[in-house]
Amino acid sequence: MNEGDVIAKIREKFGDKVLEAYTPGTRRVSIRVQPEIYKEVVGYVANDLGASFLSCVSGIDRGDSLEVIANLGYSTCILIKTLIPKNNPEIDSLTDILPAADLYEREVHELLGIIFKNHPNPGRTFLPEDWPEGVYPLRKEYVPEHPKPLRRGGKD
Amino acid sequence: MSFEIPIGPQHPIHVEPLMLKLKVEGELIVDVDIDVSYIHRGIEKALELRSYPQGLFLAERICGICNCAHSLCYCLNIEQLLGKEAPPRAKYLRVIVEELSRVHSHLLWLGHYFHTLGFETLFMYFWRDRERVMDMLELMTGNRVTTSYNVIGGVRRDITPEIDSKLRRMIEHLRERMKYYEAAIRSEPSLLGRLQGVGLLKPEDAIRLGTVGPHLRASGVKHDVRLDDPYSGHEEIPFNVITYDTCDCYGRVMVRIGEVFESLDMIAYALDHLPSGEYRLKMPPFFKAPVGESLSRVEAPRGELIHYSISDGGTNPFRYRVRTPTLANLASVAAMLKSRGDYEVYIADVPAILGGIDPCICCTARVIITDEGKKTRRITTLTELERYARERGVRM
Repeated sequence: MNEGDVIAKIREKFGDKVLEAYTPGTRRVSIRVQPEIYKEVVGYVANDLGASFLSCVSGIDRGDSLEVIANLGYSTCILIKTLIPKNNPEIDSLTDILPAADLYEREVHELLGIIFKNHPNPGRTFLPEDWPEGVYPLRKEYVPEHPKPLRRGGKD
Repeated sequence: MSFEIPIGPQHPIHVEPLMLKLKVEGELIVDVDIDVSYIHRGIEKALELRSYPQGLFLAERICGICNCAHSLCYCLNIEQLLGKEAPPRAKYLRVIVEELSRVHSHLLWLGHYFHTLGFETLFMYFWRDRERVMDMLELMTGNRVTTSYNVIGGVRRDITPEIDSKLRRMIEHLRERMKYYEAAIRSEPSLLGRLQGVGLLKPEDAIRLGTVGPHLRASGVKHDVRLDDPYSGHEEIPFNVITYDTCDCYGRVMVRIGEVFESLDMIAYALDHLPSGEYRLKMPPFFKAPVGESLSRVEAPRGELIHYSISDGGTNPFRYRVRTPTLANLASVAAMLKSRGDYEVYIADVPAILGGIDPCICCTARVIITDEGKKTRRITTLTELERYARERGVRM
């Protein structure tokens, strides 16, 4: 299935709820949808379009909102993107339709603070045990501290 | 009576220390929990704070063994973002070094895998031959381990006729050796007993759990990024995708052995058909990338590697996402380690199953065995765990 077919089929099925669809390159498809139908679109791509291999779930801090991207498919990479508000970052978990999402969603949850509803085990997996609660390192407001450079003689 | 056995988190050769909490009944493993929180280095954040040319050096250091795959994936990503393409000669040179590093990674894995199973002779043999490959990497790139060969827009150096002839000699030598090892592994009953039927992963489960690389191909699924999404002249270079339908640890060994042969053939083909011309585009030391996004995929020795970057038009990436193959394969480890129905997993199989995905977890530093019934804790050493594994080998 080529890039154009994927876009046509998703547009046909979901109509206006698909906000944006384009091909950023060869064998790449990018689809932006409303958060309510995000899981439904992923399920449709996985079951009906046959791209049942989930290669990753990523999160991006876009300022006022957070973006979640599910990346599916062996040959054609189908990126399903959705924007959720930063003050209420909740989205449906994909784990019940695609178990591979488990670790990826845990990672996005810890690094960006996105809450995946109905995730089976949202415990800490990636960040160290002593990492403070509520600090999300991949958000733009988090600025890492740089250790002071060592000087000869140990002064400052 | 059930025990909990934590395995990890320290082990010397893998960059991602990992903790597995195994719940066992007798020698059977009934449940497993994974923890990878020990060495989160924040490289994705660090890449946001560096310019594109600086990022290359960091991306290369994500993984020591797959450094070539990471630097290639990074370069492809930034080239896509800039709308540039490496010259044909650079593509072929990239394939040569990529396949050399695949051979070295597979030989390292094979040697280490048999070491954890208690077959020291094969360990010595594989690692001796790996030295030849390391020497070739050093000749071609200037470094044994972190090659720093790929740069944005091409490769760092060209190949000379002297290196060419040495590479061909190495390929001939290694091909003969690998044939011998393959025959030895196929005909060694104690080895087959340790591998066959251990760590079963059915194809449908492998896809469902997002498994990648040789691990996936050993479950009979024909997926290889080089075939499905050719990225560096792989359309022109002939190669076979090795699959095995045994779905067990034996298949994982044989897939990797098969891939070593394929990689050697690819190197020989690339040497024969090396295009002439430039090996590197001229790139400014600092540049801005146009607004956009790009996703690059590379078949690293352990499986599909994904880099995804978003540019806001500045000198640094707005967001850089890396998905390494080991993370993708971890979910399947948890599934393979659980006994269910007729499928039984013993503690002694843990090194074989864990090792099968190539995370190098077998070098577990120490193991705490908690006896829930007696409420006692004792710390065993790696040697003890290995002895467990070996005794099982001897019994068979």
